[in-house]
Amino acid sequence: MTAIAESHVADRGVLRRLAVDHARVRRRKRRLAELSRHLVLGLVTFILVAPFYYVVLASLKDSNAIFSYPPKLIPWPPYWENYRHVLTETNFLRWMFNTMFVATTVTVLKVFLDSMAGYALAKIDFTGKRAVFMLMLILLMVPGGALIVPLWSLVFSLGLINTYFALMLPPLANPLGAILMRQFILGLPNDLEHAARLDGLNDFQIYWRIILPLIKPGLVVLAVIIFTDQFISFIWPLIATTSDDLIVLTVGVASLRAHGGVDYGLWSASAVMSLVPIAILFFILQRQFLARSLAGALKQ
Amino acid sequence: MEAQPRRMRLSPEDHARLRRKARLRREFSGLMFIGPMFVFFVVFLVLPVFGTIWWSTRFGSLYSGTRFVGLRNFTRLPDLVGAPQAIKNTLVFAGASVPLILAGALAIALLLARLERGGAVYRFLVYFPVLVPGVVAGLIWLFLTNSDFGLFNDVLALFGFKPVTWLGVDTALGVLIALDVWRNVGYWAMFFVAAIIGLPQELYQAAKLDGASAVSRFRFLTLPLLRRIIFFAVVVSTIWAFQVFDTAIVLTRGGPAGATTTVIYRVWQYVFGSNNKVGFAAAISLVMIVAILALTLLQMRLLRSRRGGD
Repeated sequence: MTAIAESHVADRGVLRRLAVDHARVRRRKRRLAELSRHLVLGLVTFILVAPFYYVVLASLKDSNAIFSYPPKLIPWPPYWENYRHVLTETNFLRWMFNTMFVATTVTVLKVFLDSMAGYALAKIDFTGKRAVFMLMLILLMVPGGALIVPLWSLVFSLGLINTYFALMLPPLANPLGAILMRQFILGLPNDLEHAARLDGLNDFQIYWRIILPLIKPGLVVLAVIIFTDQFISFIWPLIATTSDDLIVLTVGVASLRAHGGVDYGLWSASAVMSLVPIAILFFILQRQFLARSLAGALKQ
Repeated sequence: MEAQPRRMRLSPEDHARLRRKARLRREFSGLMFIGPMFVFFVVFLVLPVFGTIWWSTRFGSLYSGTRFVGLRNFTRLPDLVGAPQAIKNTLVFAGASVPLILAGALAIALLLARLERGGAVYRFLVYFPVLVPGVVAGLIWLFLTNSDFGLFNDVLALFGFKPVTWLGVDTALGVLIALDVWRNVGYWAMFFVAAIIGLPQELYQAAKLDGASAVSRFRFLTLPLLRRIIFFAVVVSTIWAFQVFDTAIVLTRGGPAGATTTVIYRVWQYVFGSNNKVGFAAAISLVMIVAILALTLLQMRLLRSRRGGD
């Protein structure tokens, strides 16, 4: 009797210990899985980021040090001459200004135009809406590079070559923003609009006071997409402008490569400096951008 | 007469009149809202697409005028120096970079989506190359691939290999593909992360209870659920790959011996780098636009029929 009871007690103890062990094993397994994920991701991001480190490094060395082997991994003292060269011997600040000016103007204009068009496509029943939307969807994917011949002759005949208008107007045609805004506005309940209409608001007031505030996250996403698009655009600015005053950052940096002789110090410093503004912008907006944009884009 | 304070039924005529008025108002405000954007859309996108058709039948240059030659630009395209090579390069480029980018992005996304902490840091770092202008990316990769002091050869030397001429005839296109993977893998990784997070968790819990392994959960749950998203990614990234130009112009200048000259690169050269080839530039552009439109339509059709089937 007592022996059996004792074995029972022992069993219970064993069971409890087994359960504890099991939980520990599971926890350890989970931690191990998490650790291995971190290891793999760490390796991947290291490979993705290493080129940046390498070019920052090169920008802080004089040309002898760039060529020396083995490479110094920490350039100390840093050599700032490359940056001084970029600022004094090229028009870098002017290029940067042009890019910022054009990108900001296009972004502001396009956010308004696209959100208005998106509102019409989502909520107003006008004749030909379906046809307009289909046309936009179909032409969404036509690459700008394939249109340079007719676009150049069009802009030329409008007398706009070598003006800021040549840089700013063609990007406004991209239908992506309008389509994206339509998706965002379609998600809003119709009741809001009906209530506003009963209160006597007209269509423009509804757009301005009801729709715009409600799709603010979408507007931020759209603005970032348009801005980065403009920031990295190259082929159209390359052919639309020839005057030195209108050269944008990407075209300027490419020209360093095309006819500046071989100057690795200059190249690396200009590469680093052109990434600064977009890095700052993205760092500020990354949380909203990465989380929300993609959620919105996926609803398509 | 109309000033009756009492609420009354509308006569059929009044009803029709009011409805007409409401409809007119709708048409008007629709026009006002879509109009400004639509004008730019037509002038700078629809017109140029038709303009490409017109230009593709011309012979001459932008500066000295052109004449009509019918379809000769298309029939002579296969014999034109560089045109077939450019098309081949672009197809090889797309065929290699798209699977690499999407497979890499999916793998990164699967890891990122299940991460318990620290995801924001990885997301920022993985996404960062996406923000780099192609021109700057080209410059950065000039450093990596330099035969004398580039990172690639340094790493090779570390393991005792001989240095490689990375931008030589055989390897240049491969380097361009690697650059493209580096630049774009983050974009699609973020895209897939958002999709994976949105998947219904119950299915995974049920699968786990049934004893499905991680591999079979991926094979029989994640992949089928992401089918539409992956298909979208394939089409869009293929279309992007067709347009590669700015990295090539800085990294390799299309060379050596045209090994990295892509379609858009050729278009640019025909227009601004050689004589009387503007018609060919338009013709080869048109071939590309038609290919891209076909892909887009295929995608729209498949997505629609799938939606019905699900």
